Amino acid sequence: MAQLKLGRSKVAHAGRLPLNIAKDIVKNKYLYIMLTPVLAYFIIFQYFPMYGAIIAFKDFNPRLGIGGSAWAGLEHFRDFFGGMYFWRVFKNTLMISLYDLVFGFPAPLILALLLNEVKNALFKRSVQTITYLPHFISLVIICGMIKDFTSSDGVINDIIAFFGGERITMLLEPSFFRTIFVSSNIWQHVGWGTIIYLAALSAIDPEQYEACKIDGGGRWKQMLNVTLPGLLPVFVILLILDIGRIMSVGFEKVILLYNPTTYVTADVISSYVYRIGLQDFQFSFSSAVGLFNSVINFALVIGSNWISRKLNNTGLW
Amino acid sequence: MAKKRNGKMHKGLQLTLGITMVLSLLLTACTSNGGSGNKDKTEPTQSAVSNTGGNDESKGNEGANKPVYPLNTKDTFSYWAPINGNLITFTTNLAEAPIGKAIAEATGVKVTYIHPTDGQAEEQFNLLLASSKLPDVLEYDWSIYPGGPEKAIADGVIVPLNDLIDQYAPNLKKMLEANPDLDKMVKTDSGQYYAFPMVRNSEGVVFRGPMLRKDWLDELGLQLPVTIDDWHKVLTAFKEKKGAAAPLTALYANKMNLQDAFFGAYKTSHGFYIDDQGKVKYGPLDPQYKDVLTLFRQWYSEGLIDKDFPIVERNTLDKRFLNGESGATVYLLGGGMGKWLESGKAQNPDFNLAAAPYPVLKAGEKPFTGQRDFKYNPKASAAVTTSAKDLETIVKWLDFAFSEQGTMMYNFGVEGESYTMDNGVPKFTDMIVKNEKYTSQQMLAQFTVPNGPFPMHEQKTTNTFPQQDEAVKVWAETDAEKHILPAFITPTVDESKKVAQTMTAINTYLEEMFIKFLMGNESLDKFDSFVKQLEDMGIRDVIDIYQGALERYNKR
Repeated sequence: MAQLKLGRSKVAHAGRLPLNIAKDIVKNKYLYIMLTPVLAYFIIFQYFPMYGAIIAFKDFNPRLGIGGSAWAGLEHFRDFFGGMYFWRVFKNTLMISLYDLVFGFPAPLILALLLNEVKNALFKRSVQTITYLPHFISLVIICGMIKDFTSSDGVINDIIAFFGGERITMLLEPSFFRTIFVSSNIWQHVGWGTIIYLAALSAIDPEQYEACKIDGGGRWKQMLNVTLPGLLPVFVILLILDIGRIMSVGFEKVILLYNPTTYVTADVISSYVYRIGLQDFQFSFSSAVGLFNSVINFALVIGSNWISRKLNNTGLW
Repeated sequence: MAKKRNGKMHKGLQLTLGITMVLSLLLTACTSNGGSGNKDKTEPTQSAVSNTGGNDESKGNEGANKPVYPLNTKDTFSYWAPINGNLITFTTNLAEAPIGKAIAEATGVKVTYIHPTDGQAEEQFNLLLASSKLPDVLEYDWSIYPGGPEKAIADGVIVPLNDLIDQYAPNLKKMLEANPDLDKMVKTDSGQYYAFPMVRNSEGVVFRGPMLRKDWLDELGLQLPVTIDDWHKVLTAFKEKKGAAAPLTALYANKMNLQDAFFGAYKTSHGFYIDDQGKVKYGPLDPQYKDVLTLFRQWYSEGLIDKDFPIVERNTLDKRFLNGESGATVYLLGGGMGKWLESGKAQNPDFNLAAAPYPVLKAGEKPFTGQRDFKYNPKASAAVTTSAKDLETIVKWLDFAFSEQGTMMYNFGVEGESYTMDNGVPKFTDMIVKNEKYTSQQMLAQFTVPNGPFPMHEQKTTNTFPQQDEAVKVWAETDAEKHILPAFITPTVDESKKVAQTMTAINTYLEEMFIKFLMGNESLDKFDSFVKQLEDMGIRDVIDIYQGALERYNKR
């Protein structure tokens, strides 16, 4: 730590705070100006609202406000953990997320690898366009389409009936819900997800492919030994980010697709919070549930990042 | 980090650019925070009141203490209310609808209406209460406020209206003095008035019930079903002879919306009710509730009940009826029967519907319960919030709906335009009831106030078919009045909290079990453990709470 030197040096070393911040601000004022809106955004819209999480420990009354409501301690947490539906919503949240992670997460990577092998540029472009279009359709419309496709006179049942199967309203079958949910997720986002991989692919040094060819590697070998390792860092970072969302299944989609028959497999923590909190007016209770959810998410991100650093030295931080 | 990069750019230009970037980013950050912030989504209306001195008929011939309309005031206020679903086709704000303009002109007050997103009124109402800035008037269902209206006053959300009504609302006051039973409904246990009520007329309390395809019945040579057995016969015939995929269907809104049809035959209900001894009961605990489940289970297994019933929405219902997939349901007089007759006849001239009486076990019995609302409709009643400034103007404006002129306007719209007087009886014009392009419901939403804080005129009927007039008579023939628990009984604050917590879990449980029993995923042998589970969840406490609240209500 050559602190004296550092103080006098014109250039701050990356990764260390410059000792003389005022000096640095003057010197890099444009960088700081560009930084302020981002900082302001996070403070105003992300950190400040966290204060509201206090109501999880209170008997919140809208008119008394957050400060004025009486403390309730851990009562709401006890109600939730001891409630009838705790294990169900907990399990469903995990299950849907895991399904999504196992089936949904690798899908864009696979599609990107496939597209990478396509030589015909026109075909490649049209496949890309077609696959990422659903990403831009509003969720409500997507769910309306899913309802139509899976209804007893919908297109999927037409196919089943054509092969002599029986028509069923799929959204009334608890055992189908996760499959419908996850496969429609893939349909929605697979094309969009490939974009980042394709961008990463273009960054791979062509010399490596050359080297691989000279060593006698065919296309398959090139993919295994050059393409995949090149995509690995991106893959891992995306994976960590996704694991952090494991407990927050997109509740809008759940709410749009579920119904009392499928609560058994479809009711997740966030949809439960929505029903109890907004529809039944129990703000404190639902905040407690939401807070519990966030704590788990937080732990998962920290944990997965730590594992990833241990395994292959890439991580978010 | 600290490399200088101002090679090509001018210093001043750089600074401007930096600042512009910051500002624009901040702006976008502020505006794009659209998560739940659509509380103030109003469009200030530019329909300035042009008082040309034309329509002041009712001036002068009223008592000295009565407000004279149009009011001579510059005051204005904000009025939060769910928008009528049929109005959305034409405008997103009531102020821009013909009726909104007419009311503004007649009262001389320009009101700013704030409408929550259609279908999300309840959530937005809850969010609104959590925010500190309230609109001046809230038109909503005050009976669902946790702790009831009394609590809403104690919480400082709304103001008690007793003195204000005495001073500025002679029309409402007169009405309440003349109708003690109504007076009892619109007060809290301690005698506080909290809202300007929507008051139904004597026919308006019945507007839902069982109905069937009359043309099918005629074709098959069947009578309108009266008993449960008749129903079974009719539904089976619909299935086998008319190929109906879902002979009996019903709207699903957290429960099969049957208005206790079929339940009533077994002298129980799908929820809370009052028994013959005046005691509050909860239907699912009754032994006879099992009989209802058994009946439904059988019907479901025979394919007589819509197999998709838990996902039947309004548009599904329309589809079922207009495509001949269903022949029977329990639904609305106007939005169901009227609408389907109108569109059904357009497709098929023979299409016809008829109301059936609420089913009973033995012919000659009077149905135990059915749909019957009370004179007071707490769902569309307007309370004045603590944020309101110009109380006098607001109360006078609200009282306008109870004056003779206002009652006519709210009910029928503008004379010569939406209605004409025919031998002293107001009749809607052809523009409303025989419109080429729009349904009468859509026209009424533009030219009248379908639901709101006003008294329904005794001669107001929105029925467009004789079948509907008949239906009201048939559906009214029940003992519902004795057995329906009023929505405006008010548990205390702590009791409400207990009720809310308990019933949230119970409703979910009941809903799921009901579906399982019907679909056969759960055997009816489990009924006893189902009842026990309800008791473990605390249903008895809720029954006791309601019992107490009912007794207090009866003493008002």
